[in-house]
Parts: sequence; C-alpha cells; structure tokens
Amino acid sequence: MADEITSEFFEEFKNSFSYGSRSDLNFKFLKSYSVEEASKFFQDLLWKLGDSLDDGDIRQLEEYIFQSQSKGYADPGRYIYETAPFTTITKPVSELRMALLTSSGHFVDGHDPKPFGIENMTQQEAEARISEFVRSEPVLSEIPVNTPEEKLRVRHGGYDIRGAQIDPNVNFPLTRLSELQKEGKIGELFSPVFSFVGACSQANLLKQTGAAWLKVFQEYEIEALLLVPV
Amino acid sequence: MMEEGGIATVVIASGVFRNRLAAMQIPRTVLTRHPMGRPIGRPGDHEEQRRIILEALNLLESAIKGGILVDLPDRSV
Repeated sequence: MADEITSEFFEEFKNSFSYGSRSDLNFKFLKSYSVEEASKFFQDLLWKLGDSLDDGDIRQLEEYIFQSQSKGYADPGRYIYETAPFTTITKPVSELRMALLTSSGHFVDGHDPKPFGIENMTQQEAEARISEFVRSEPVLSEIPVNTPEEKLRVRHGGYDIRGAQIDPNVNFPLTRLSELQKEGKIGELFSPVFSFVGACSQANLLKQTGAAWLKVFQEYEIEALLLVPV
Repeated sequence: MMEEGGIATVVIASGVFRNRLAAMQIPRTVLTRHPMGRPIGRPGDHEEQRRIILEALNLLESAIKGGILVDLPDRSV
C-alpha cells in the first residue's frame, strides 16, 4: 500500500521540533515562535545555507542559530533577584582548590545514575520522559579527574547532546581543565568533578539538594567552583 | 547558595540565556556566542575551549563585586 501523504498545518510542523514527531532540541525554541516568526526563521536559514554553499562560511549559520535561540529564550524566567551573595577569593586561581560542576548530564560508564531506577536509559527515552525529569530530584554523579574521555557518558533530555558525545569539553571541560592545572593555571582541580541532569526539579535543587551538595563541597574544602549550566 | 557557603563561583554559559542569567544576579558569568548545549565551543576546537575557560578563571580572580556578566566576542570578530 502506498504511504499516505498527509498535510499538516505549519503551526503543527514548527511545534513538532519540540519533543514532537521531529524532535530536535536545537530547535525546540520554535514552539515559542509565532507562525510568522517561524516562517521567517526557516526562510532566512535556508538562504544562509545557500550562501554557505558558495563561501563555505558555517560560522554565519552558527551565529544565526545562536540569535534565533536567544530570541526563543529572551524572557527573564522565573528566578529574578535584586542581589545575590558574593564571596571574594583570597588567593590567586593558581593556588585555589577548584571543582567543576556541570548540569550537562555526564557520568562514568558503569556508574549510570539510573534515573527512575532504569539502567542504560537511552537519550531518546530521556527526551520522551522530560516531563518526569523536570519534577525529579537531581542526582549528582562523581567523575574522577583521571577518567579517560572514552569512559564518559552523557544523557540529558533537555538539550542536543551530539556535540557533547563527540567532545565532552563542549560543556564538560574536564580535559581542558586538567591541562590548565598541569600548566599551573589552577592550583588544584579537585577530584572528583561533578555533573547532574539540569532538567530536574528546580525547587528541590534550590531548597534541598543544593544545600546538601554545598555541605559536601565544604567538607572537601573546595574553594571555588566552575559552573557550566547547559 | 555556594557563595553564601563561602565558595566562590564562576559560570560559563551560552549567551542564548543571557536575560535569564542576568535576572538571577549570579556573581560571575562568562557568556559565549555558542549555541545551546555547547557553551564552551565546538567539538575539537581546543583553542576556543581554552580561551573561554581562561576568561572565566580571569573573571573569578578579578571580580570585586557580584552580578558581573562578561559577553565574550566571537573569536572570528
């Protein structure tokens, strides 16, 4: 039987990139665009793609995607503060004990944090369960500093992990930081480094789990944190 | 929270989220022009990754008050 061709409203089409039939987390922002805005986005994207055939400049495509994503996340969000605490460092970075904490969803092969009790959950499954993730308690994975890159795993239902799968340093810069420590730019890169899935209950993170993590970091006498939210 | 606990922090994030991060009054933030999911640059671009991290370490060391956002320009500019 021949495949049926169905037509679809453009609104359905543009929304399908956000956890829908064409889910692509690089473009989930299209759900927040009006039909007119999304139409312009695709038109301009294709034009710039055509330009890149001739000038080979993919940087302009990256910049266009960056600007388009920025427009999709232009609102200030729910967490608006007038001021925030500030701790001054008392010694140069080259003498500090520093830890890395990312919300990129990295862990070591064989040490799966088993979200919802499930081992070896795939990225696709994580995306399908995103609404459960954002209500769940965050779980901190510990990754020894000497972990080879090939032993790192990443899974996060909130962003496109392809770049992180190719090179963890795009959002989990363990290798780059280790190099900088060897050069003496950082006093000590604390082992382990830490990562969790940022698509979690923000209320739980702010009111409970974050405080528990702070106690752990204080016990380790960590003096500074490099934070990479994704 | 970490700062209240005496741990200094510096954030590296994609400038896609600039408005949301600015609203949080985070002590020290380096914003890059890389898209979501890849705030520290493209896979394999070690030079760019290193540049961004060094900027963050510099901010950690030099900031004397909170709420600072540093918008890193595109390296090609």
